[in-house]
Amino acid sequence: MTNTAQTIDPALYAAVTDAIRAEAKKVLEAGAAAAVVGWQAGRRQGTAMPAIITDPAKVAELIFSPACVNNLALYLSKAKKEIRARGRIAIVVKGCDLKALVGLMGENQLKREDLHVIGVVCAGVQRAGAAKDIPLSEETIAGKCRECTVHTPEGADVTVGTLPDLPHFTPVESEELSRLEAMTPAQRWSFWKEHFARCIRCYACRQVCPFCYCEQCLCDRNRPQAVETTPRPAGNMAWHIVRAMHLAGRCAGCAECERVCPMDIPLNLLNRKMAKELKELYGHEAGFEVKEKGPLAQYREDDDQSFIK
Amino acid sequence: MCDHSKNIYLPQLATIAEIVDETADIRTFRLVFQDEAVRDNFSFRAGQFAEYSAFGAGEATFCIASAPTRQGYIECCFRAVGRVTEALRSLEVGDAIGVRGPYGNSFPIEEFFGKNLVFVAGGIALPPLRTLIWQCLDWREKFGDITIVYGARTEGDLVYKRELKEWEQRGDVRLVKTVDPGGNSPDWDGKVGFVPTILEEAAPSADNTIALVCGPPIMIKFTLPVLEKLGFADSAIYTTLENRMKCGLGKCGRCNVGNVYVCKDGPVFTAAQVKAMPQEF
Amino acid sequence: MPKTITDQNLRLLIDALVAEGKRVVGPRAAGTMTLYAPLAKGEELNLGELPRRSAKETFFPLCETILTYERDKEGVRVTDVDPGTIPGTVLVAARPCDVAAAPVLDSVFSWDFKDEFFLERRRKTTIIGLACTRADDACFCTAVGLSPNDTKGSDLFLTPLTDGGYRCDAITEKGEALLATHASLFAEGDGTPAPLAEPSLGKLDLDRIKAWLDTHFEDPLWGEIAERCAGCGACAFLCPACHCFDIVDEGGETKGTRRKSWDACGFGKFTNHASGHNPRDVQPQRYRNRIMHKFKYYVDKFDQRLCTGCGRCIRACPVGIDIAEILSAIGTRDQEPGTGKD
Repeated sequence: MTNTAQTIDPALYAAVTDAIRAEAKKVLEAGAAAAVVGWQAGRRQGTAMPAIITDPAKVAELIFSPACVNNLALYLSKAKKEIRARGRIAIVVKGCDLKALVGLMGENQLKREDLHVIGVVCAGVQRAGAAKDIPLSEETIAGKCRECTVHTPEGADVTVGTLPDLPHFTPVESEELSRLEAMTPAQRWSFWKEHFARCIRCYACRQVCPFCYCEQCLCDRNRPQAVETTPRPAGNMAWHIVRAMHLAGRCAGCAECERVCPMDIPLNLLNRKMAKELKELYGHEAGFEVKEKGPLAQYREDDDQSFIK
Repeated sequence: MCDHSKNIYLPQLATIAEIVDETADIRTFRLVFQDEAVRDNFSFRAGQFAEYSAFGAGEATFCIASAPTRQGYIECCFRAVGRVTEALRSLEVGDAIGVRGPYGNSFPIEEFFGKNLVFVAGGIALPPLRTLIWQCLDWREKFGDITIVYGARTEGDLVYKRELKEWEQRGDVRLVKTVDPGGNSPDWDGKVGFVPTILEEAAPSADNTIALVCGPPIMIKFTLPVLEKLGFADSAIYTTLENRMKCGLGKCGRCNVGNVYVCKDGPVFTAAQVKAMPQEF
Repeated sequence: MPKTITDQNLRLLIDALVAEGKRVVGPRAAGTMTLYAPLAKGEELNLGELPRRSAKETFFPLCETILTYERDKEGVRVTDVDPGTIPGTVLVAARPCDVAAAPVLDSVFSWDFKDEFFLERRRKTTIIGLACTRADDACFCTAVGLSPNDTKGSDLFLTPLTDGGYRCDAITEKGEALLATHASLFAEGDGTPAPLAEPSLGKLDLDRIKAWLDTHFEDPLWGEIAERCAGCGACAFLCPACHCFDIVDEGGETKGTRRKSWDACGFGKFTNHASGHNPRDVQPQRYRNRIMHKFKYYVDKFDQRLCTGCGRCIRACPVGIDIAEILSAIGTRDQEPGTGKD
């Protein structure tokens, strides 16, 4: 699907907003869900934030817009157990967010029957720092949306919206990955070293990740201390390696880690590289079917052993 | 190490002169400052705390458990539950640790002169009172009756066992020791029951009396109503709070309970002060 | 008598200070962002945007060594770090919202015990503030009683002029001294100040907010606003006034370093006891502490607020929490006491 216009027609978002509100009202009134996790507008023009709505009278607060960047699956992870404790939850998901839900189900963190999944057809969201409240364009659309293959979520209880024709966007993510792969190992090492040196250890990447739900993160553990906690090169490198390895085969590519990084570290590039390796080595792709264990969480006799020397 | 360092985070080195295993996991260190001038000049008041370093693991916060009237050394008492306390536990006599302090406020002992004292402690919370108990015993003539009600889960969990005997044998202290039901051996010569119950039984007079209470939150919770029943005003009841600390100096932002910094405004508070705090400890 | 300085001379001033051996810190392009960073020459000064992190690290670095230790058979040796070795610094072109935080932080770092790591840097630093001519929708300095040309904390203050260059006002003796030693770079005179930035949020009634906080430790608001909080430290780490820190030993048994590094009250383990008990166990309690610390506790202790309205926490919050919106909401709340205690 291509169109000749340079921007995405905002009509989709308005239509989806209406449909979310109607569905939320329906499930809350019928008692089919104790709360709806969606997005609402922020104070600042053209911003949005996660919303947890329990009162059917407040469904009009729910919106869908290019500012609805958050992956709301975060609010269903063990890290946010007080939300789950309310009962059956209705959650609004974009295609990319749904992949995280599928992953969490595979890891026995969620049961499908405890959820009412409201899938939204999504043409894209804003990149971090983009000018707000203007139609999405080459200038403003997030990297992950340019090559999106899940505009329409599959397997939701209800899916709302109709995908419009989309302009062609430069596939910046693929280009970025190609540049990384073209580097020598030494260049790649220094590339990441430079990026990780900027890390201030605010753990925004960890805290927004639906898969970083460990009650005791390895990085918070001090008996023994596995990773130094101060924002210095060695500890930063260790933390980011731990993060990447722990997410490999699980990360479904929502790119929230990269979006929220206040130091602009291209974290999703690392995640994508790991995902690509796993696809090539094991034919595994996270987030498409409910699977108990990814390739790095199991052992098979026929696994490639050639790296052991 | 510089004697006149401007670095408030710099500890003084102290050598472990003696180790006493109070229980299976609670240990007392007697510490002697390596620097002679520090050893001679280190002074503190009962109730104050210090930061103790196991180099390589970090610092942990405990009260100074010895009495200010005993000079030349200080003592601390800790349970090995975390990274630092486990590292401290691995040290031996002759090893060095770091000590920063003394920090925090203290028991206003001068206000207790001429009064009766009732000490109520549970489990590992005896050390913050033991410092004051010994100071009061060293200045015995300044106080009226002294009653100590001390209990633990089992006989094995009582700390300072030798001193309990000593207090029992002195004629000028009334010691009531107790263990929780089921925590006693056949030859236990103390009471059996929870501290608040035993306190109520012992029924010390509230007249001209100060109560000093230290113990786990659950013990405090049930002890305060008993004291009230016995006639103690909230302003006549003292306790100490503990919270996670890093600096101990009112800077790092960790130990506050509402706008009260435990490290600077405490750790000693009256029950009246504690009741005025938000429930965040 | 006011003076002016051209943009070119401002950069020459930086060159001159560097040549004198001063550490000069100012907004500098750093990859995709601007940061307050040491400048090697005036050309590096980048005034295009508000630096991503605040200027507090000039005085309170992300991480600093407070001692080193060595242990062998002979015993333990501790090597002190002398705060006196901190170099003389000029912080140049810092925004009023960043500069105003420095004197606020003096209180906590100097009450009773003196943190000379912070205070020595403060004493040895001359601050050249720069009035703000551009605000975005996250800026709210005016809402918390400051302004885009507030000189609080500055030694010397630059006001952009309509026809380029800056008016330069000495605010303190330190500022006078810097003007005097580099007099040739400044011209006598005034000029027409460029229009100041206009943050959109109106002035908040901070006393009314404080009065509400005094009586609403327990309130449903904390749950409502903090349920979405992800519990990261982005807000605290970007904040010019957040001062919480951790002290850790890094290294091994035989040698290592004790470091002081930024920490955040939003982290789940921040107040966790070794026993497992956690006085602030859930996110709403932690978020409440953040607001209370800034707008009540610090006021109770030091009669100052730990917020200068720079808006960084609003821009950086992964889940859209907007402190200005929360303050506005608190300002309109019923003052009836809540169920909790003060």
